Amino acid sequence: MNSNGNQNIYQPKLIRVIDKIQETPDVFTFKWRFVDEKENEAFDFKVGQFGEFTVFGEGESTFDICNSPTQKEYNEFCCRVVGKVTKALSKVEPGETLGFRGPYGGSFPVDKYKGSNMLFISGGIALPPVRCVIDYCLAKRSDYAGLTILYGARTVDDLVYKYMLKDWGSRPDVKLVTTVDPGGETPDWKGEVGFVPAILEKMNPSRENTYVVLIGPPIMIKISMQVLGKLGFDPGRIYTSLENKMKCGVGKCGRCNVGNVYVCKDGPVFTYSEILALPQEDI
Amino acid sequence: METKIINKQDLAKLIDGLISAGARTVAPVKVGQMHLFQEVRSPAEAVFDYFLARRSPKEFLFPQTEPIFSYTRQKDSVKIHPVDMAFPRTVVFGLRPCDAAGPGILDALFAWDYEDKFWFNRREQTAFVSMTCAQADHACFCSSVGLSPDAADTGADLHLTLLDDGQRYFVEAPTGKGKKLVSEFPSLFKPATDSDAAARGSAGEKAKGLITRKLDLSNVKQWLGSHFTDELWERLSAKCIGCGACAFECPTCHCFDFQDEATPEGGVRCKNWDSCCIDNFTLHASGHNPRNIQHKRYRQRIMHKFKYYIDKFGKTLCTGCGRCSRQCPVTLDIAEVLENIAAKAASGS
Repeated sequence: MNSNGNQNIYQPKLIRVIDKIQETPDVFTFKWRFVDEKENEAFDFKVGQFGEFTVFGEGESTFDICNSPTQKEYNEFCCRVVGKVTKALSKVEPGETLGFRGPYGGSFPVDKYKGSNMLFISGGIALPPVRCVIDYCLAKRSDYAGLTILYGARTVDDLVYKYMLKDWGSRPDVKLVTTVDPGGETPDWKGEVGFVPAILEKMNPSRENTYVVLIGPPIMIKISMQVLGKLGFDPGRIYTSLENKMKCGVGKCGRCNVGNVYVCKDGPVFTYSEILALPQEDI
Repeated sequence: METKIINKQDLAKLIDGLISAGARTVAPVKVGQMHLFQEVRSPAEAVFDYFLARRSPKEFLFPQTEPIFSYTRQKDSVKIHPVDMAFPRTVVFGLRPCDAAGPGILDALFAWDYEDKFWFNRREQTAFVSMTCAQADHACFCSSVGLSPDAADTGADLHLTLLDDGQRYFVEAPTGKGKKLVSEFPSLFKPATDSDAAARGSAGEKAKGLITRKLDLSNVKQWLGSHFTDELWERLSAKCIGCGACAFECPTCHCFDFQDEATPEGGVRCKNWDSCCIDNFTLHASGHNPRNIQHKRYRQRIMHKFKYYIDKFGKTLCTGCGRCSRQCPVTLDIAEVLENIAAKAASGS
């Protein structure tokens, strides 16, 4: 049952931006800590949970906590500038105060993944919600078998986390494949050129003892699923995180309801077989 | 169930007594051509010889708009000012059994894992005094969703049924809160005799006879589960203009939005009623809208009420009050939609 006592579940806590990284021309990472030190000590979350972030005076938006909970010093979220709140965020500088509610939602079953190969597939701005799982697996490296990451973006400029890609690419215990859409490459680009599903097909990953984390734009997910189907992957072993529009984050406001689930509370992490059982809204 | 008799004069005294005791006392009040639930300052303002209020009394637990916190801002710091979540004692008179059923349907939603204290703190402070229906129309279909125009136990704390003499109400107290209300004003409530109980029974039968719209919803949920895509959606809801009036009048529609109202120095965040039928309900900042056309939005309304909510919380998200049909500007009749679905289900199409 409930665990919030007489608390107002819609009132945010104050957080402070401690660093801001411009990932691409329109994507920013924010590192943050609670203003109240006691909150920093008490805060814990699971891999794949999200928060509701307030820019005071502008509104509240939903972003994944995109670091692993094993990283304790600060937390991160990442956003692309598209609407009112993210436009305001693009002007927020370190030292400024935001609001946070969370952590909310379910998580990736990282314990169940133990001992398995992990295949991460992601496109564009969807690397941050995958990265929390990658970072977790790297922090507990010996718990997992092979780690393979396939990440693509429209252009080289649009690749987020370039500094992490460099790190992952240099590790002998990670197989990293990066790609950009045809025409998105630069003269010195050393990665693949092609859409993510095409590169996935070329990679021909083994389904043996493998779990997949697949997050990206709907079209990338749809075609990647077809490829994974051809390769014999079980939809019950493919995990994704839905990004429905949300407001409350706690299963009340009705906005993220699809079929019998409230994505904010029953998700946002689902297996692909769970998604196939939902009404096929254009989510 | 504890039963009593209260006459019209004593009902006025009860209202007066509650006002004097400082309770926010709400009753149907005539405003222009409609009746609205409003706080009354004297029993004379309350109108009980009426059909149904324009809006359900949902707003006394879940206002159309309310601040959820405010804040002030200085250069690099923000201070949050919590809102007071203690609410006044409230007694709502004269609602119908369909309206009394609303809060009990929504409790599960406002409670799962996280309790919305705006809802529950008000709920604790609020008593509902319902009345057996004296009128009904073609939009009413409460008996098709398991309710009844004379039911005492749909969620009210006291239920009143006007007896044949037109002067005395038969009082039923289905809850502890209702019994407490009776014991707070003992001189106003008289013992009920067996013949009063019999008269209440026949008044109830008469009220039941007012409901002429009978829907067979037995196969509707199952049909909805397998007909997310069907020609019916576009055909029946093509005329929906997405105004959201249906949701705003509904006793069980609970979807809401947050909006910030701000100046550079500070602001307030409000929780506002919203509706799945309004076009920007699921509109992403990117411009993508999973429900990009009106019939998909109307389908969500029907699916949520007659399938999803039942699967999730075990209750139909509808009380058959008929407001959404009655007040729809384009006469989109929810009962007719359900009849069409029932017919399709029956014919196996």
